[in-house]
Amino acid sequence: MGRSDEEMIGNEKISPRQFKFLVILCYIGTSILVTPGNVASVTKQDAWIATILGVLIGLLLVWLYNSLGNNFSNMTLVEYSEKLLGKWIGKLISLLFILFLFINCSTLVYILGNFITTQIMPETPVQFTNIIFVIVIIMGTRLGLESFARATEILYPCVIGLFIILILSLCKDIEIQNIQPVFEFGIKPIIRGSLLYVSYSSLTLIALMMIFPAYVNNMKEAKKSFLKGTLTGGIIIFIVTLLSILVLGHDITARNVFPVYILAKKIHIGNFIERIEPIISVLWFITMFFKTIIYFYGATLGLAQILKLKDYKSLTLSLGMILVVLSLVVYPNTAYADTWNTTTWVPFVLTYGFFLPLLLLLVGKVRKSRREKN
Amino acid sequence: MWSILGILTVAIGITLYEVPSILEKNFKKELWVFSSLLLFGVVLSIIESLNIDIPTPLDWLAVIYKPFTDLIFGVLE
Repeated sequence: MGRSDEEMIGNEKISPRQFKFLVILCYIGTSILVTPGNVASVTKQDAWIATILGVLIGLLLVWLYNSLGNNFSNMTLVEYSEKLLGKWIGKLISLLFILFLFINCSTLVYILGNFITTQIMPETPVQFTNIIFVIVIIMGTRLGLESFARATEILYPCVIGLFIILILSLCKDIEIQNIQPVFEFGIKPIIRGSLLYVSYSSLTLIALMMIFPAYVNNMKEAKKSFLKGTLTGGIIIFIVTLLSILVLGHDITARNVFPVYILAKKIHIGNFIERIEPIISVLWFITMFFKTIIYFYGATLGLAQILKLKDYKSLTLSLGMILVVLSLVVYPNTAYADTWNTTTWVPFVLTYGFFLPLLLLLVGKVRKSRREKN
Repeated sequence: MWSILGILTVAIGITLYEVPSILEKNFKKELWVFSSLLLFGVVLSIIESLNIDIPTPLDWLAVIYKPFTDLIFGVLE
């Protein structure tokens, strides 16, 4: 693990381009494997319509984050809420926000461990897959924001390349009657499905407010990158969802925890390109890594900023230890995870992803207009 | 037994790796935060390794958010 002692909090800057890649990878994150199944279980064959609606809602949310970011161009969300809401209320809200990030982080590690033990390596104890994944996350966090942001520039093209291979090799298995009839169940399931979708993808982008705008160069470009990244990620998820429904049908899609993995198992080209599903797991490990590291980095940095520490790196190892334990206990089983993700998770993430930025924006506006009156 | 030993070894390793540089820079507050987090982590890991059930925090969240959950999904049912 590299250690650069002279680097203190706040000396790091990333470019808008790297930020865009981070947004995309973070947005795709868990969604690419989980969304089609979850959304299809609510909306059946109309899941693809729900994702379109979800992408539009996501763009509106990013617009909200952007206008919030305008208010504090050199602070993170934690510092800003303390400045705006006063020492105690601000610290309390920041602490809750950090707990939110940390719990999300542990659920992601759980999902990854669960995926590896159920699909790839059934005989390895889940503790060890989780520990190894957390070690990688800790290494990345210790190397700092600049390093893992630079890593996106190498890994993002890999993700897109693998994704294109996946799409092209499935084109011939498409059966158009799988998405018919359109709008069979009316609008309500579609709204519900898109709410679920937004809850995994766009609402969790609030975690990026620990990086944006404080550590991104060129505010104007960065705001554009945020929107572009969300749109690109949204298009990718839309294509994946549409493909799952078109190839597998809504029933199989909804019944699997990881439908896209099943989708990749379907690939047969000629009689010699078969079983290339590790491709989709590589793709997913990359996106998952960046999503988890954004949460972990946000939580560690936020904790250091609340406590006014000079260095967040000394917290990473002990927080990682807690993270491993939490990832083992956070969901008692998959059924619990399913129920949680489709019920309490939605208002939980809405609190931080929507109401918190809205509150900060409104309080900021009121403060500003009062100052102008005086 | 072995797992507890392993956890303690890891904790000692982390301390040896982290503490000298904190002391060197004379970060008092960092030392406190680091030690309490590490202690918490070690205790949690040992409880988990003894197979004692740790309640998931999500249960409490589910109770707190119940009215909102019912509201949102009641409207969209």
